[in-house]
Amino acid sequence: MIHHQIATMKSYQYIIDYFENSPIIIQVVWALSCILLIAVVILTIYLKKLRSRLRKNEKTVAEYQKEYESDLITYLYAGNEEAEISAEQQVIIDKLRSCATDEFKRRVIVSTLLRLRNEISGEMADAIQKLYFQSGLIIYALKKLKSRRWYVVVKGIRELTQLRVKEVHDKMGVFVNHPKKEIRKEVQLYLVTLFHFDGLKFLDVLQTQLSEWDQIQLLEVLQRFDEQEIPDINPWLKSKNNSVVAFALKLAKIYNQFEVKDALIDLLSHQHKKIRVDTIHVLGHLQVVEAKDILKNNFDILSQDEQIEFFKLLENLCETSDESFLLAHTTNQNFEIKLSALKIIKILAGEKFKSLKYISTDDDYIKIYEFLEYN
Amino acid sequence: MSDAKKIVLAEDNSTLSLLLKFRLEKEGYKLLIAVDGKEAIEMIELHDPELILTDIMMPFISGLEVISHVRNKLNKQTPIIVFSAAGQEEMVLKAFNLGANDFMGKPFSPNELVIRVKRLLR
Repeated sequence: MIHHQIATMKSYQYIIDYFENSPIIIQVVWALSCILLIAVVILTIYLKKLRSRLRKNEKTVAEYQKEYESDLITYLYAGNEEAEISAEQQVIIDKLRSCATDEFKRRVIVSTLLRLRNEISGEMADAIQKLYFQSGLIIYALKKLKSRRWYVVVKGIRELTQLRVKEVHDKMGVFVNHPKKEIRKEVQLYLVTLFHFDGLKFLDVLQTQLSEWDQIQLLEVLQRFDEQEIPDINPWLKSKNNSVVAFALKLAKIYNQFEVKDALIDLLSHQHKKIRVDTIHVLGHLQVVEAKDILKNNFDILSQDEQIEFFKLLENLCETSDESFLLAHTTNQNFEIKLSALKIIKILAGEKFKSLKYISTDDDYIKIYEFLEYN
Repeated sequence: MSDAKKIVLAEDNSTLSLLLKFRLEKEGYKLLIAVDGKEAIEMIELHDPELILTDIMMPFISGLEVISHVRNKLNKQTPIIVFSAAGQEEMVLKAFNLGANDFMGKPFSPNELVIRVKRLLR
């Protein structure tokens, strides 16, 4: 026994001596290796614990979900025509109301309601919303709206959107110009998802910028609805908020709002170049012939982007009277204008196009001409 | 109950499955629930149902593969109704090309589904 202890001590002493007598670089490497080894062990234990906690959590969620699913289905089929709420339904309402006081259980209940609400429509979907009110779950969502943490407010608005709670419309007004863009985006989605085109009225008072991504999301929501009755977009085309004007231009194009052509023509003198360019694009799409002469007369004072967009408009609206204008621009400095001018001439006057083959020795001109000749 | 017509429902949303089970069993059908396409195929082979209801997007084996298996491998003409979410129009077309009989876009009304089921099982 003593011999064994002496041997162990000797080997420890050997390790200590080896370490102390090693060059400094070796000592550092050994120290780092030990630290890393300890870190790996600690992290492994931590991950194992974390994984088992998450699995336990998942199992608990699945158990509660099963229970609440069954309660929800029972509630949906327990209604009778005599009473607004049957005795069986009342038992479930009371149970859910009491469970909802626990945040974890409340999350599972709401997710269970949402899982079904997103998949069905009609009377049963309405009944789910009714249960959301009766069980007091809505109170917790409304509390979230008063939170000082922006992500809690976002979660509250999203829950109300997913459960189609139209009744809180008035409470959303305060968020339209909220300094946090995530809250603004969520409230915009709430308004448009639930009130469709009517929900766009927030554009009347919007002071902040509507990002390109916000606009895409709103359009994506709007396109889910079958109704095609678009509100008057004239006020938005005249808005002082440039992003609102840009969004209204998109609406004008997508929903073919030819009746706003006067407002569109006014936008040709808008101070913001991007809006002028977009306006020309929409005018071309709507084939507003009046715009052509206005732009043609002011062609020289237009920016290059506007000039290029105007030529795209001409591709849709050209007439034989435009021939001399087009000819003048076949040798324009800009490649895209040159291409458009020659392309339109080829469509408008094939013979004339043939006679233009040798009018320029410019490399770009020759390439464009040859491309158009064979395409 | 043993004479009840059998319906295999392949749907990964357990809440929706439970709701449809209750609704269709109330109408006198026997519902067999599969949580994914793989389980659905096993159930179809085992129980030879009178109707199949299947979601398009499911784990492991999609609804399209289930239709293809029934029509091409099992060579059965069992009526099939597919469920699809918004934006899956192309999938629905593929489902019809593979031999689906009807489709319902989500969200749908369970009452409407019952009408379609009754029509196909008449």
